[in-house]
Order: sequence, then C-alpha cells, then structure tokens
Amino acid sequence: MNRPANNVLLIEDESKIRRFLRAGFELQGYSVIEAENATDGLKAATFSAPDLIILDLNLPDLHGAEVLERIRSWSNVPVIILSIVSGEDEKVRMLQAGADDYVVKPFGMAELLARSEAALRRYFKSATENPVVVAGPLSVDLVTRTVSLNKHPIRLTRKEYRLLHILATHVGLVVTHDQLLKDIWSGNQRDNIQYLRILVRKLRQKIESDPNRPRLLVTESGVGYRLQARFEDIAAD
Amino acid sequence: MHSPLPITSKLAKPGLSSGKRQGIAAASNSTLAPKSFLQTDVVPLLLSLSGVSLVTALLLLLEQTVAASLVPIAYLIPVIIAATRWGIWPATFASIASMAAADFFFFPPIFSFQVEDPQEVIDLLLFLVVALVSSNLASRLRQETETLRQRERDIHNLYDFSRRLAACFTVSELVSAIENYLSQTLGQPAVFFAAKTDGQLEPPRSGPVPKVVKEHASLAITAAGQSVRSVIDVPTQDVWLLRMVSSETAILGVVAVNIGAGPAETLENGTHRVEAIVEEVSLTLQRIDIEKAMEDARLRLQAQLLRDAFHGTLSHELRTPLATIRGSASVLDSIPLIQQDSRARSLVEAISDEVAELDRFIQNLLNATRVTAGGVTPHLEWADPRDIVNAAIKARSRRLAAHHIETEFADDLPLVHVDSGLIEESCGQLLENAAKYSPSGSTILVSVKSRQDDTILSISDQGVGITADERPQLGRRLFRSQRHQATIPGSGLGFWIASIFVGANGGSIDIASPGQGLGATATITLPGSAAKPSEITVVPNE
Repeated sequence: MNRPANNVLLIEDESKIRRFLRAGFELQGYSVIEAENATDGLKAATFSAPDLIILDLNLPDLHGAEVLERIRSWSNVPVIILSIVSGEDEKVRMLQAGADDYVVKPFGMAELLARSEAALRRYFKSATENPVVVAGPLSVDLVTRTVSLNKHPIRLTRKEYRLLHILATHVGLVVTHDQLLKDIWSGNQRDNIQYLRILVRKLRQKIESDPNRPRLLVTESGVGYRLQARFEDIAAD
Repeated sequence: MHSPLPITSKLAKPGLSSGKRQGIAAASNSTLAPKSFLQTDVVPLLLSLSGVSLVTALLLLLEQTVAASLVPIAYLIPVIIAATRWGIWPATFASIASMAAADFFFFPPIFSFQVEDPQEVIDLLLFLVVALVSSNLASRLRQETETLRQRERDIHNLYDFSRRLAACFTVSELVSAIENYLSQTLGQPAVFFAAKTDGQLEPPRSGPVPKVVKEHASLAITAAGQSVRSVIDVPTQDVWLLRMVSSETAILGVVAVNIGAGPAETLENGTHRVEAIVEEVSLTLQRIDIEKAMEDARLRLQAQLLRDAFHGTLSHELRTPLATIRGSASVLDSIPLIQQDSRARSLVEAISDEVAELDRFIQNLLNATRVTAGGVTPHLEWADPRDIVNAAIKARSRRLAAHHIETEFADDLPLVHVDSGLIEESCGQLLENAAKYSPSGSTILVSVKSRQDDTILSISDQGVGITADERPQLGRRLFRSQRHQATIPGSGLGFWIASIFVGANGGSIDIASPGQGLGATATITLPGSAAKPSEITVVPNE
C-alpha cells in the first residue's frame, strides 16, 4: 500500500497473543496500538483514530459484542473479531452487529492479514474509486456491470449478477446468508436459504473452473459466502 | 381422642402395600365414625339449619296448596347440599330438621307437631327415609371424591419427588428432596438421615434435630430388625418416631418424624397414623431405589463438574496457548530470514503441524463431552452436500496431505436439510480414519450421490479393512481394534462421535469392508426431506 502506514488497534487481553499480532502486523508495515481491556480499547478507538480494529471477544471487563456495539455507534472503522468459540451462531451475530469479518483462534497470521487487507480495501473503496474488482481470473466491473473470466466476458442472469455484485463489493470478506437473501430478494425470501444455495450453484457453474471444488466463491459453513480475493488465501490457510 | 375424618383419607393413600393399608383405613373408619358426630364442627350444622329455614321461608311465601305439594322435594335440596358439602352428620341433622319444619308449617294442623292424617305420618316417615338414604349416598360420594383428590395429590407428590430425585446432583440435594416429600406426605416435620458408605449417618438438611434423636438414629441402624422406635426429646416434650429404611442390600437411612407434644392418648393415635405412613414412605423409598439414586447423584455431580471444567476453562486455557504458538509460528514463517533458511523453515512448519494436530485433538474431546452431555441439538438448514464435503476435506488438509483425495459428485444432487457443521465434522472424522488406516500415497475416494430421496455420502479407502469380529464393535465409544493399537495412534472417539452427530440429523452411518487388507467404505446416509429442492430450482432464476 502506498498510503502512510495503516494504524491497527489490537484489543486483546492475552499479552502473548498481542505480541505476535504486533510482530505480524509490523512486518507488513502497519503501525500498531495495543489495548489490554475494553475500557482502554474504547479510549484508543476514540482518540487514536485507528484504520482497523482487531477485537477479541473474551475481554476481562466487557464482552467484545458490547465493545463492537459501542464502536459502531459512532464509527465505521473496519473491525475483525477474534474468537475462541467457533459456533456459527456467534459468528453470524457478530457480523450482523457490524463486524467486518472474524477469525477463530487458533489461526495463522496470513489468514488474519488477508481478512484485514480485505476489510481495509473495502473501507477505503470510495477513495480509490476503482470500479473493477479482481478476484483471481475473475473481474467484475461494478459500473458497466460486466463480468469477465480470464478476459472473456461471461453472461449472468440478473440475480446471479446481484449475488456476485454483493460478494465483489465485499471481496475477501464473508457475507452472511441473511444479508445476501435480503439484498437479492429484497426481503421476500429471507427464510429460503435453499434459493440462495441453488443460485450459488448456478453462479459457480459459470465462474469456477471446477464447480465441484470451488476456489473463488467459497462457502463459510453455517455463516455465508466469501469471494476469495486471491488464490493464495486458500493455500496460505 | 380419635382424630377427625381427614386422617382417614390420609391413611387411604396409594402405595404398594394396598391390602394392608386398606385394612388400616377400614378399621379406622368403623371406630372413628360414631365418635365423629360429637366432634363435628358447629358451623356446618348451623349452615344446614339455615338452609332448611330458607326453604321453609320460601315455601311459606307460596300458596298453601302449591307449597304442600312441593314440600317433600324442596326439603331434599338442603339435605343433599349438606351431605355433599359437610358430610353425613350435618345432612342427617338437616333431614330431621326438615321433617320437623314440614310437619310444623305445612301438615295440618299447621303450627303444631301433631299430625292428623295417618297417611301424612307415612309421608313424613317416607321423606325421612329418602332424605337419610340420599344424604348417605351423597356424603359417600363426597368422601370418595375427597379420597380421589388426596390420591391425586399423593401421586403428584410422588411424581414431583421422582422428578426432583433425577435432578439431584449431590446427596444433600437428594436428602432435601426426601425430607420435602416426607413432610408433604406426613403433614408433619420430618427429617432423613442418609446412611453413608462407612455406616455413619449424614446429618439431615432441614433444621436442627435434638441430640437425643441423632443418637437414637445411629442406634436404629445398628439394631436391625426393629421397625419403629419413639424417642422423647425431654426439653420440648416432643415425641419423635424413628424408622430405618433399607433396601435388600443396604441400609439407606433413618426417617425421623416429629409428631409433637401432647396428652398420651393423642400421641398414641398420632403414632399409629405416622407409623402406617412411614411404613408406606419407606416402601416408596425402597422402590425408587434411593441407593442407586444416591450413587447416580454422586456420579452426575462428578461428570458435570468435569464437563463444566472442560468446556469452560480447559478449552479456553488450552486453546489460548495454542493460539499463541500457532500465531507466533505463522509470523516466524513470514520473516524473510527464516524463509531463506530451509532448516529453520522446516522447524517452523513442524510447530504449525503439531499445533494443528493438538487443536484437532482438543476439538475431538470437546465434541465427545458435548455428546456425553446430551447436548447435540442440530441446527437444521438447507445445505449443498458438495460444500459439506469440501469443507471437511479442507479442514483436514494437513492430515490428508499424504493421500490422494478424489471427489465424485453426482450431477443434480439435491440439497440436504441438516446441520452442516455436524455432518462436516462426521465426514471429517471418517476421512481421518480412512487416512489413518490406509497407506500413504493411496487414494481416498469421496463420492456423493442420491438414491431415491436419500443422499448417500461414501468414503472409500484402500487400507487395512475390517475383520468380521471387529465389525460389531465399531461405533462403541473408545473401541480400537487390537490389530492397530500399537501401530496407529488414536483415541477411538472418532467413529463414535461421527455416528452420534449423523444420528442427531436423522441419518445413519455404515461401514463395509470386503475383508482384511481390502479397504473399507464408510457411508453416511442422510434422509431426504419433504420439500424437494428440485422443485425449487426453477424459482430463483428469472
């Protein structure tokens, strides 16, 4: 990234985890602020104007969900949740409460960095004004609404494009079933996840080299879908 | 000296020794009845009398001839009411009063108890007989209803009691439940001394017990054979009844009931009554097997503590250091200096691999505790079986690295209505087993197809296979074949967890093998659901 170093705020009570997070982020050119509890974290979020917040759910003084809610009451800064519980319900709850993505402990630094970059990219989107989203061999022009695979244009139905559009504007980030259903069917079919599954199947037929083993449009089981920003993301995990 | 009626119904409680109990009930009925009249409350008598007066007043308002024809019927009303509300004695009283009122007010000569017409004498006597018979019938009905109600209460108590027993985690909780039940059934304060394994008694839970009672309680369990003993607590003059409760194999404890202080006669009567009930209660306690309930309670508590510790603390305490190791290793891995040094790199990789292994092991244990806690409630939603299989393969990519994984999906696979997390975990367990029991470099084939409404997910390996005697043991927790115990590491939990997770989704797991050394195929069958996704395929596209 060419801009001055991005500020990342780590709200995490385990000092050893903060230590490797700091190292991992600094190696990638981020500048790091640390907070070991929710109170300090909220203070830092207000006064240090971070570009990105990494928030642990299990904090000594306040639950992470509460912290997220308070941050969201005044700021759109990207927030990525660290959680030790891998229950789908909690993931969905946090995403709906405004988290940009989550990572379940234990995780590799590459995974967190990929999520962070995706969240930052989306956050600064309006500034870069690049209407073309590229994910591996796929590129989606959000202005002309054209989609091409390996430089060959492909045709999508309106709903297929709608699905791809939402995922492309969140490229690299997970999008919940609920949000997809709401956006694609304008709230009419919110409970009918099977429609979404079928639509995803159809879209995969058109954009994946092997629709049975998707590498672009991946499923986050119980949570939603994600358009992979880069293929290495899969290998790095 | 004899107690009022309710005791009779108390004695007539349901239980095992019905023959004996009915004997007691019948006996008390016959002896209690004649005396009861004297003890009957005055209020019902007055109320019966006012009922009769009311009817008289109403009849007096009517014309003489009309009233005379209504007399016999009208007076039956207060009689029956008295019989159903207050029993036989107020009803008898009401009958006599009615007859007198009828004679006085309505049979000529009016306002005199004399009767002119012999026919009317017969009428009056007939009325009295009818009134007495119907009041007798009505009061008996009342008694029976009362008995039924009491029985219902008793059954309810017993049901409550057994439910409480099942929820008890500690012996002290169990003892409180027993005491609660005793007091409710006896209507008098009762305590229970539970016998400990060393022959001593646990102190009761509800309130203090006089020292002398405690001493006698210890005596009661040593002097076997004696049924009920009574103890007088000198300072308060309260009389306590003690009875040992035992099963065929062990002494369960001692029931002690405080029947209060009072004249010897009252106490004697109370003693008889309580003895009968304590007898009953101890039979009940034997029947529900307090011994086993106590052992179960102890075990439940231990299991619960372990589970809570594991879920709450251990999983967090174990995973936080794991997260630190995994994360730190991944940061090391990205440092250019280490990337250039192949030895350093391989060491970092080894760390990451082993941590991933440990994490999977912890996840397995967590799954196992979840299963034993009975906490598998599937969160059903429509899922693509391809996604489930791919996720399972991806989650275990490290363990499967030495094998060729091939996937085969039938075209037009229907969606499945399952908890995808649970099925993914089961599928992963089967994949892990396949990899564990087959040589590196061999192929593991995962195929998904649909058969009628069901979706069949099968995992075939080219490994050691299964022998005929191992077959029936699969699916048992901790089962591991003798053939592999020394050579292949494992906990024996995997297949067990997988089968329970699949079962929770309404599916089944099967394992087939042509024989030793010929590989094996594990199959997950997921039932089709009523709504066919093929019918929906048309809808979402326009």
